[in-house]
Amino acid sequence: MAEELMKKEEIDEMEELLEDDSPKGMFMTFQVGKELFGISISYVNEIIAMQSIAAIPEVDDYIKGLINLRGKIIPVIDVRVRFKMEPCEYTDRTCIIVIDVKSTMIGLIVERLADVDTIAEENIAPPPSLGRKEHEHNKYVYGLARTKDTVTLLLDPEKLIRQDDIVTAMEEVRKEEQS
Amino acid sequence: MAEEFNTESMLDMFLYESGQLLEKLEGIILEKQDADCFDDADINEIFRVMHTIKGSSGVLMYENITKVTHKLEDVFYYLRESHPDDVPHMELVEKVLAVSDFVTGELDKLKNGDTPDGDEKQLVEDLDEFLGRLKGEIKKQGIQMPQANKHVEPTQFYITPVAGDDSHFYRISIHYRSDTQMSNLRAYSATYALKEVAEDLLYTPDDILSNEASADVIVAEGFHMLLQTKSSKEEVIALIDSSEAEEINFDELSKEEYGRALSEFGREEAAPAAAAPASAKNDANKDAKKEGPKPGDYVVKTKEAGKGKTLAKNQPKQQSIISVNVEKMDALMDLIGELVIAEAVVLQNPDLKVPGLELSNFQKASGQLSKITTELQEVIMSMRMMPLTNTFQKMRRIVFDVSRKLGKDIELEVVGENTEVDKNIIEHITDPLMHLVRNSVDHGIEEDPADRTAVGKSTKGKITLEAKNEGGKVYISVKDDGKGLNKEKLYQKALEKGLIENKPINEFTDKEIFRFITLPGFSTKEEVTEYSGRGVGMDVVVKNIQSISGRLDISSVEFEGSEMTLVIPLTLAIINGIVVQVGNSPFVIETASIKEFVRVGEDSLISEPSGEEYIVLRGECYPFIRLNERYDLPDSNDKIEEGIIVVLEHEGSQVCVLIDKLLQEQEIVVKPIPPYVRKVKGLSGCTQLGDGSIALILDIAGLLMHDGERR
Amino acid sequence: MKILLAEDDFASRKFMDKQLSRYGECDVMVDGEEAVDAFMMALEDGEPYDLACLDVMMPVMDGYQVLKAIRDIEAQKGIPKSKRVKVIMTTALNDERNVKMAFELGCEAYAGKPIDVEKFEKVLTKLGLI
Repeated sequence: MAEELMKKEEIDEMEELLEDDSPKGMFMTFQVGKELFGISISYVNEIIAMQSIAAIPEVDDYIKGLINLRGKIIPVIDVRVRFKMEPCEYTDRTCIIVIDVKSTMIGLIVERLADVDTIAEENIAPPPSLGRKEHEHNKYVYGLARTKDTVTLLLDPEKLIRQDDIVTAMEEVRKEEQS
Repeated sequence: MAEEFNTESMLDMFLYESGQLLEKLEGIILEKQDADCFDDADINEIFRVMHTIKGSSGVLMYENITKVTHKLEDVFYYLRESHPDDVPHMELVEKVLAVSDFVTGELDKLKNGDTPDGDEKQLVEDLDEFLGRLKGEIKKQGIQMPQANKHVEPTQFYITPVAGDDSHFYRISIHYRSDTQMSNLRAYSATYALKEVAEDLLYTPDDILSNEASADVIVAEGFHMLLQTKSSKEEVIALIDSSEAEEINFDELSKEEYGRALSEFGREEAAPAAAAPASAKNDANKDAKKEGPKPGDYVVKTKEAGKGKTLAKNQPKQQSIISVNVEKMDALMDLIGELVIAEAVVLQNPDLKVPGLELSNFQKASGQLSKITTELQEVIMSMRMMPLTNTFQKMRRIVFDVSRKLGKDIELEVVGENTEVDKNIIEHITDPLMHLVRNSVDHGIEEDPADRTAVGKSTKGKITLEAKNEGGKVYISVKDDGKGLNKEKLYQKALEKGLIENKPINEFTDKEIFRFITLPGFSTKEEVTEYSGRGVGMDVVVKNIQSISGRLDISSVEFEGSEMTLVIPLTLAIINGIVVQVGNSPFVIETASIKEFVRVGEDSLISEPSGEEYIVLRGECYPFIRLNERYDLPDSNDKIEEGIIVVLEHEGSQVCVLIDKLLQEQEIVVKPIPPYVRKVKGLSGCTQLGDGSIALILDIAGLLMHDGERR
Repeated sequence: MKILLAEDDFASRKFMDKQLSRYGECDVMVDGEEAVDAFMMALEDGEPYDLACLDVMMPVMDGYQVLKAIRDIEAQKGIPKSKRVKVIMTTALNDERNVKMAFELGCEAYAGKPIDVEKFEKVLTKLGLI
């Protein structure tokens, strides 16, 4: 119970942050696997706790199904599965970020929320070129942001939800980054 | 919020009201087309309609509309004042329709943002000539000439703005080099240049001239503008001085995005000022501290707007009707859906299930609540229902036009035009119905009246348009007493075109033969006429009807006539469904398509080596679908004797489906599956159940089709 | 003829000034209060305006208030209807409610922005100004 309360408070806090004027450069960051991802909060509508999802047959595995958001039915995708990582159990840390990309509402299932961060433009570097053409067409990570000791991968939501295949470029991005 | 209401522009209002009036006008005309003359009430009404349109078009300065309606008003003025006999009624009907068509055409141009430039001269001359004859008639009859119809030129004018629909919306961000001097002045010159083309321009920081510190802000954060303009991207870019600029970001926005962006820039999007050219608030030339009134304040509060005279609503009974945006209705319906769910959550709350809890007052109150929510649901549903009157009126016009063109004498009988159907459905049936009516006039009724008398029918053809509401379905039929369908001919034709299997005619049922005419590429008429017979007709009709889960029934007796009946659901939004469970997932099946539920044993199952399965029920063999396998659902039962078999029927084909258990029967509010999810065959939508969870709705036609493809 | 133009937006003001100057002497005001002052002054000098073009959204007093003030002053001074200044509202607020209110307040014409110059001229003709 305490845990649950904690989480609720966290979410409320995030919501509060969201309600502030959202100047450019603010990102909602969340964790998927070991990575920290960021998404511009201008896309973020709200954050909701994990809830029961109605599965839809015959769709890509990362489309987990439909949820009922106060009468509005929206699809949810599992970001982990979208990135071709092993799916993992949903815990009470798991939550759904509801984003609105060009009037399409979609829920993103993420393992846990991290923070709302301001990332100055000069701290954003383009992702290192992989030197391979075939990856060019789906750069859903459009930038790397260094903050103190962490690196946040900034996501382009439009590309994230686009229904073509994502190249499992993540690992490689990471490697390049370390070297 | 208040500003959101009643913001139809002057032009929209004119279009709406004139459209309504013209519809009414056509109604009167077509109703009385077969009468000998119009009665006083009709003449008054037509006069009033013309007068109103003349007046409002005058205010808006659409002179051709004004002139034409003015002339017709004159005609009816004479009719009203001097009651002449021997008015050529048919000619008058044609004149009124010609005027109505002309005005409708001009209104359409306005709706598309074009200039109403139709030439009214011929029409006005014709009307003048007609009026001249009428007057001659009046003189001959020795009736005193009435006083001339006095015309009051409008004294107030409304100048419609140059059409704003083709405006573009841009978000422009300029980042200057960090060593740029006086970047605020550069930013100002950019705004100055853009003002030439701007319909609206907002920028931040907004105090670029009065506050020198803004220069630093601009260098650090960039200078951002929102622009509404008719100019193209290239033209706008050319206007901006790009020297010293490091980067110029240029995004074209949709109108909605623009509205949202406006609020980001600190302006209320709901305010009507959103479309104002560079409004007071951001005018850099002015002392920024001067407190300008807010956009909403421009409406003078002392005088209640909207009171007093309205343009056209003189009839008291019309005042009780308001038009509501369908989106708002849909939103209301969604909200009521939520309310029902919230109610279930409260009333079935586990907290209430403590043993020994005394709840009699709560039960009483909750009973009352349930009653109200149910009534609320009924009311919103009834609000979405519209009578078929308007649709049928269009059909009258078609019969009138087509029969005159083809020189056929046809009487149209309309029955049950007050039958109500969901608004969405009306939109879908108008075109198919039009096609059926045209077909009846063109193909159904004999060309030669002699053919009719030969079989003992009157020379005047008769078409009956009938609507009725029965058992949750609406039946709309188009019946003619014409030559009927010739089975032999249909069969030969279908065979010739290779549309059917080559087997003798007696192996087809009558129904099957009639259905040939709905096959793509079938048209029995040798030559194509203007109104029907392009061969792309009936199959499109059938497709359209199927898209709203309806069907087309055809029956016909040769030499006696044909009847085409559209059978459509009352509403698309709510169906009566049975909720079933397969694995952990609930599904909804429309009650009407369920034939029966049975439990059978293993022995009723026939498995083919190919993996196909069939169920034998009372000696009949049905295709069998295991929903859990089809949709790959985990945790479901595989044993046929433990589950339930549902026999489903759609347009004469049957299929058996295996489910785990039945949950309940209830009214289901159908919602579309979000378009982001690719269409899944066999699913037609989704819905939320009482506990807030989501169930998918099975589409029997899709299941059958899918099944057929697999084989 | 003598024209009063009240328009706070620079670009629109420039445009209207150019248009109207073709027909006569045009006094340009930047807010509603000034416009009423100018109207009063002209009346007192015995050289009233023939035409007033009023923007609706202006600081201090909006166009409707100016229109109402002008009509009130005229009524108070007993100026007959035929001698009243002709008023054209110029605004981007073209919803029916605003237009009707303006008509009820007694303007002769209501021009939606962007202004259709051709029709504007037609109205001036109909009003007997040119």
